[in-house]
Amino acid sequence: MSIPSVPTRRTRRPSTLVLGALTAAGALTLTACAGPTVASGDAPAEAREATAIDWSQVEPASEITWWSNHPGGSQPVEKELVERFEAEYPDIKVNLVTAGASYDEIAQRFQAASQTDQLPDLVISSDVWWFRYHLNDQIMPLDDVFEHLEVDVDDFVPAFRSDYEYEGQHWAAPYARSTPLFYYNKDMWAAAGLPDRGPETWAELGQWQEALAEQVPADSAPLGLSVGPSWSAWWFKNILWGHGGRYSDEWDTTLDTPEALEAGEFLRGMFHETGLATVSEDATVDFASGVVAATIGSTGSLKGILDAASFEVGTAYLPDGPAGGGTPTGGTGLAIPSSRTPEQQLAAAIFLKFLTDTEQTAFFSQGTGYMPVRTSAIESDEMKAVYAEAPQFRTAVDQLNDRARSQDWIRVFVPGADQLLSEGIEQIVLRGTDPADAFGSVAPRIETAYRENVEPYL
Amino acid sequence: MTAVLAPRTGTAPGAPGPAERRRRRPGLARRRRALLWFLLLAGPNVALLLVFVYRPLLESFYLSTMQWNLGSPVARFVGLGNYVEWFTSPATAQVLTTTAVFTVATVGGALVLGLGLALLLDRRLPGRGLARTVAFAPYVLSGYAVGILWLFIFDPRYGLMSAVLGWFGASSPQWYTAEPWPLVMIIVVYLWKNLGYVALIYLAGLQSIPQDLRDAAALDGASPARTLRSIVLPLLTPTTFFLTVTMLLASLQSFDIIRSMTSGGPLGSTTTLMYQIYQEGFVNGRAGYASAGATVLFLVLLVVTALQLRYVEKKVHYA
Repeated sequence: MSIPSVPTRRTRRPSTLVLGALTAAGALTLTACAGPTVASGDAPAEAREATAIDWSQVEPASEITWWSNHPGGSQPVEKELVERFEAEYPDIKVNLVTAGASYDEIAQRFQAASQTDQLPDLVISSDVWWFRYHLNDQIMPLDDVFEHLEVDVDDFVPAFRSDYEYEGQHWAAPYARSTPLFYYNKDMWAAAGLPDRGPETWAELGQWQEALAEQVPADSAPLGLSVGPSWSAWWFKNILWGHGGRYSDEWDTTLDTPEALEAGEFLRGMFHETGLATVSEDATVDFASGVVAATIGSTGSLKGILDAASFEVGTAYLPDGPAGGGTPTGGTGLAIPSSRTPEQQLAAAIFLKFLTDTEQTAFFSQGTGYMPVRTSAIESDEMKAVYAEAPQFRTAVDQLNDRARSQDWIRVFVPGADQLLSEGIEQIVLRGTDPADAFGSVAPRIETAYRENVEPYL
Repeated sequence: MTAVLAPRTGTAPGAPGPAERRRRRPGLARRRRALLWFLLLAGPNVALLLVFVYRPLLESFYLSTMQWNLGSPVARFVGLGNYVEWFTSPATAQVLTTTAVFTVATVGGALVLGLGLALLLDRRLPGRGLARTVAFAPYVLSGYAVGILWLFIFDPRYGLMSAVLGWFGASSPQWYTAEPWPLVMIIVVYLWKNLGYVALIYLAGLQSIPQDLRDAAALDGASPARTLRSIVLPLLTPTTFFLTVTMLLASLQSFDIIRSMTSGGPLGSTTTLMYQIYQEGFVNGRAGYASAGATVLFLVLLVVTALQLRYVEKKVHYA
């Protein structure tokens, strides 16, 4: 921006007015994009048309574009995957485009481009975004084209594959997938006289609290947890499920059930009564620097934590609650836009089949710390090498097999619901709000978001 | 009146006489040529403004009457529904309060501190040129990068700020999580980034004040404080007015620092109106609702600017 000169009397009024009008207009241009057609009545879904394509009659395109944010710093790994593909399929060229720094940025760009022809042939579709793409008719179901390409879909890790399923169709394929994991500081555990394992239940961690509190700074707590969108509503699922609660039963919000309120109360107690937990701006940093003795982090953070910590890091399943537990899955899949030509879609599907095959998913996992998305890859030689180098990774894979559960619908399917759930959790964690009030303040807004932004499009 | 004047020239009212026609012709041609030149020179700019500013502006008004999931091929007409929801939403009061606090603190703070800095930089001190450069440098940095940098400084456990407070025996506030500190944090960073710009403009204003006025005041025995109050500040009012208008518009539209430091959180405590528009439009995908918020912001900016021009400018002294 150039430096404006101080205006003289003669030119003052018009320039200020024009400046005001222009900058005010600038605020509005933020939201102005290519427009939609206006639907009559309450059923925009009527505009949707499904036409079956005979894939055997389609020739794959010679060039496709892939939009990625290179999750987990995977740009070199993805480049290598593209090179491997082009060596195996010399007739298809893949352009790897950095289309954002995060899942949200990719999604924003993809949605803004949806009314144009500047779309990719393959796009990152994170767990909280793919359903919105589907509602907006922006992506195609993969079942038919995968059947034509003889993709072994039953070999996908079931929890990962079912995350992209709606009404019997699959709208994305799993790619960079993760789960939360319990990390603990083995040195502090030993100094506190605790067994070398994670707590089996939250109650057990509560029993260990006193011994662990002596190992951390006085203004800290044994367990450090971060809050914020895309994060707190993810790890809180374990506590919610552990108390028998859920965010929703299909589309019905269930935050007012006794189980959900009990889970909320347990969370409030952890931060405001027992002193078991403290809020960390970056829990993995606090953990690696010994400010807290344990944390919940993504499996995708494993490599970073192992590199940063000067002590031996232990990993364990997320603790159970009185009603059991489980771990949610997260991360991203890959989807194919519906508006591309069948030739481009077929070429993208061939590339997607390659990216998610046993060898490549193991290679991706090895290079990033994300989970392999095929069960056959979990015991592959490549993964065995990973387990040998970092035995902690084995816990993540085992937990995935033993405990992974698909997410409750509203968090991943209702636009903005994750943000609202995080807000409810933050009220409890940061302000010590009564869970009934905290959840009660966000539940109606989630229901409105469902009524306005999901229901009419189903 | 025309009837009285018309007979003097002996021609019908409104119709110029032959001599007048001769006189006017070259004038008319000149005006046409000027118009042509105007269209030629201003046309491309006007066209760009129409296409990239006013067309989206009108489209945004239109979208604010729709319920539209960003990216969806279809939308539903809801009339003023989005406005009704915006004005009755429990979040609106918090967003408006945050916006007001942020704007008043950043504009007011920047003007006061900027003037102070300009007065310092105006003195003949050694290293003045370097000091001016250093003061202005943050303004040219990327807001997003500045935000990331200051996040490290504010870190309650590891940050520089925590260490400095520790020297004085004070403990660091929870800048990231405990209200109102996140809002204080972004205000401080915004001020740091924009102070140099305000100081530079004030410095230009200070240097345009004739030295003889100051000399005369000194001869009359006026103290430096009196000179500042009675001569410098009144003669700086055009600069102050200009800065108030531009800083207010910039502050109401600030985004990058909020995005990089707090993402509007925690619990919406740093969500300004501008950030809410982004959040609703691009994160929650509610393009119609976001457009309604954008229209409200547009009207706020328009009214604030108009009020300033109507009332505040009367207090401006031009030399």
